[in-house]
Amino acid sequence: MDQIVSQFLLKSLHIILDSRIPSLYPNDRGGYTTSASRAKKSDKWFNLALGDRPTALDNLNFWHRNLKDPMIIDIILVHEGPNSSSVDNLYTSTSTKAMVETVIERWAVHYECPRVTPNMNDSSAHKKIYKKLIVLLRSLYCQMRFLPAYRIFRQLNSSSQMYNFDIIYKVSSFSDPFSRTEEAAMEDYIFSPVEASSGRLCVSVTYRKTLSDFNLVPAASLFPRIITDYVGSPATEPLRSFPSSGKVVEATSFPLREARPPSSSPFQRPHSWTSGFHKGAPFAQVSPPVYHMYRSPSPPSDFYGQRGPYSRSVSQRAISCDDYQLSPPFSPSPSHSYSPSPPSHISGCNTSPHHGRSETSPMNIPHAAAAGNSRYSSPNLSDPNRQHSLPPPSPRNSRLDPSSQDSPSRIRSYRKSESQRSAELHFGVANHYTGHKLLRDGRDDSGRFSGLLSSSGSPRIGFSRSSSRLSLQDDSDDCEFSCPFDVDDVDNSASPARNNPDSRRSSEPSFATMGAKSQDAAVGVLVQMLRTAPPLRQDPSCYSSPSLNMELGAGVTTSSGFFLPRKTSDALEELRSFSEMKNLLLSKSGARLSKEED
Amino acid sequence: MNCEVCHLKDLEVEHYEIREVLRCILHTIIFHRALGLVRPKEIDLELFEITYVQCGDLKVEKKIDEKIEQLIGWVEKHPNKKSQICLSFYEVKNKQASWFTNKIERLYWEHWYVNLNVVQQPKTAYARSHSSKDIVDSENALEERSIRRACLETSLREVLFQIIRFVNDKKDHVPPIPNREGAISFPYEITIPSSSDSAFGMDMIKRMLQTGHPTMLS
Repeated sequence: MDQIVSQFLLKSLHIILDSRIPSLYPNDRGGYTTSASRAKKSDKWFNLALGDRPTALDNLNFWHRNLKDPMIIDIILVHEGPNSSSVDNLYTSTSTKAMVETVIERWAVHYECPRVTPNMNDSSAHKKIYKKLIVLLRSLYCQMRFLPAYRIFRQLNSSSQMYNFDIIYKVSSFSDPFSRTEEAAMEDYIFSPVEASSGRLCVSVTYRKTLSDFNLVPAASLFPRIITDYVGSPATEPLRSFPSSGKVVEATSFPLREARPPSSSPFQRPHSWTSGFHKGAPFAQVSPPVYHMYRSPSPPSDFYGQRGPYSRSVSQRAISCDDYQLSPPFSPSPSHSYSPSPPSHISGCNTSPHHGRSETSPMNIPHAAAAGNSRYSSPNLSDPNRQHSLPPPSPRNSRLDPSSQDSPSRIRSYRKSESQRSAELHFGVANHYTGHKLLRDGRDDSGRFSGLLSSSGSPRIGFSRSSSRLSLQDDSDDCEFSCPFDVDDVDNSASPARNNPDSRRSSEPSFATMGAKSQDAAVGVLVQMLRTAPPLRQDPSCYSSPSLNMELGAGVTTSSGFFLPRKTSDALEELRSFSEMKNLLLSKSGARLSKEED
Repeated sequence: MNCEVCHLKDLEVEHYEIREVLRCILHTIIFHRALGLVRPKEIDLELFEITYVQCGDLKVEKKIDEKIEQLIGWVEKHPNKKSQICLSFYEVKNKQASWFTNKIERLYWEHWYVNLNVVQQPKTAYARSHSSKDIVDSENALEERSIRRACLETSLREVLFQIIRFVNDKKDHVPPIPNREGAISFPYEITIPSSSDSAFGMDMIKRMLQTGHPTMLS
């Protein structure tokens, strides 16, 4: 009976998350429905084959030790607060918009077992109970599609558009009751409980009758965001995982970030696609306690990273713009989820608890870049030591398409980040990098672990997961280092915090000194760098890639403007680095050829 | 085992809406009764913002479509009449030969009645409207149609909720799942009770024979 109950819990969680959380799966799951014969054994429970279970479910057994605890699943809508307007979106930095989390559905699955009875192995009774649970799960599956939240889930799931909202979830064995106003807007539905000899299984839901109160619109009209520290595309590395960021989120309150977790390390870059060697032991240390704690950050209001098939693994990153700017890596602030109030030059960086992104105007590129960072950290720590190999540029370019990031700087920084990533990968630029990481990770860790800390003291155990759609942000958030060829000089005019041009410059000669992990990757990187080097190619065609054409339309005229302030000396330096790289590659290919001949 | 009957709420539909509405309802019911291994298939209705779930069995889909076509044919022949479609689940019992019939007995344990009122929308002269009055009329008609459509969507949702409630409230009468391959665990049939002219009497007698008089059951 216990096995039936635990499988029932898993199955119901699977059904619920499957129908509500858009980015639960890294890949398109459309294919599974056609392969009738390949159902896994675990999927056949209750005769309802749903496909692969999300990784979160594998954790369920870990945290839900006591079957008698209720499993409360909150489906939370992250949306713009009431003080935002679409006009603001267009003209001002959107940092003033608060992202609000509202519980739109609360599912409760509970095995009510008032008395301890000996485990009766009455198989016929078990069969009857099993049959009834099958029927119950069928109707749960249907009901998921009849409730109002399903429509917005479908909206988010359609990959053609970006929206100004997101759906995240939180699973716990405890939930704060709703406020009166919330309750007034909600309705209950209780499925008939299934009686068992030792208790009964109950499923119920409290759901919002209507979601039309929320301003849930496509984000197409929003201003492009600039990611100056864009690192790369998660599409190219679906296996990459990030440590999770943990926070137990209540519907109406925000946890305090009390202390920095001891296991955070300056070498952790939980939210970035950086080179594999950075993700070493520190991640391993971090992963066990953090794995079950997930922060549920809200997406930036005006930047919605692409919710790609891989977004699940990379979407959970906790980075805020303030990490980038502020020297103290973590500044506890009860009212802000991740960051204290930003300094004045980050004019747009808002103080909303869920809005760590800098929402400054496009001029302030580094801030915006930091703002472009995803604030979600992936819960998937399955392989912290994964090797990093650069993908070919084109898949990453194509990932840009659905993104709302339209600025040329972003495009550049995207490419920069790719190159930078390769630089990091191949050449191990560390000093400034880790310095920035410290800032960033501090923030992230604090965000990630506060949930752990706060929850450890409380009787409730829970974890929440963000279904971020900010996969591109994952790439962007750690690109503090730009390609050596990027136009930081231009962008720096308004960004005093961009303090790593020197590091970048210093990284250039290092190309020649360290070996590439893979020849092909190095070649790809070189090609990328050559293509994106602004001073060498003064025409906008350097950004011409089929998927970026539409974004270039707006950016072309301004991109040349970014080129102007570059000096000849910079160009010469870059040329020098090009030739160094070329020599390096030639020498390596020569070495390889000779190796192959051996 | 008792036989549970569920009369679903009446729905007022236009001719072109019959197919979608019936598919939605019938598939939802069958999904709850196809207790074999299923891979649920979600279908979005085109006319309404409703997504329903099919059990994924192609034979079921085909059978449902056939019956729907039958009903549509009947509706065309009998305009402005209430139509009904009945989905029944039964068990097959090998009854001993009795003096009524040698047939294999069908023991019905569930009947679902879907009630439709097919309304004929008055044809508005869209193409031939010359006067402003005609235009206003056609606009009104469109508005009425959309209002009616919205009401139908709400009613359809209520019917689907009704199905879920019924399925959840009454589980005891469901027979044990036989060891069969495929999604469909229980045999079913879809009938159009109003299609036969002498329907009522014959149906009653048939049912009596099939389910058997209590004194005849061994």
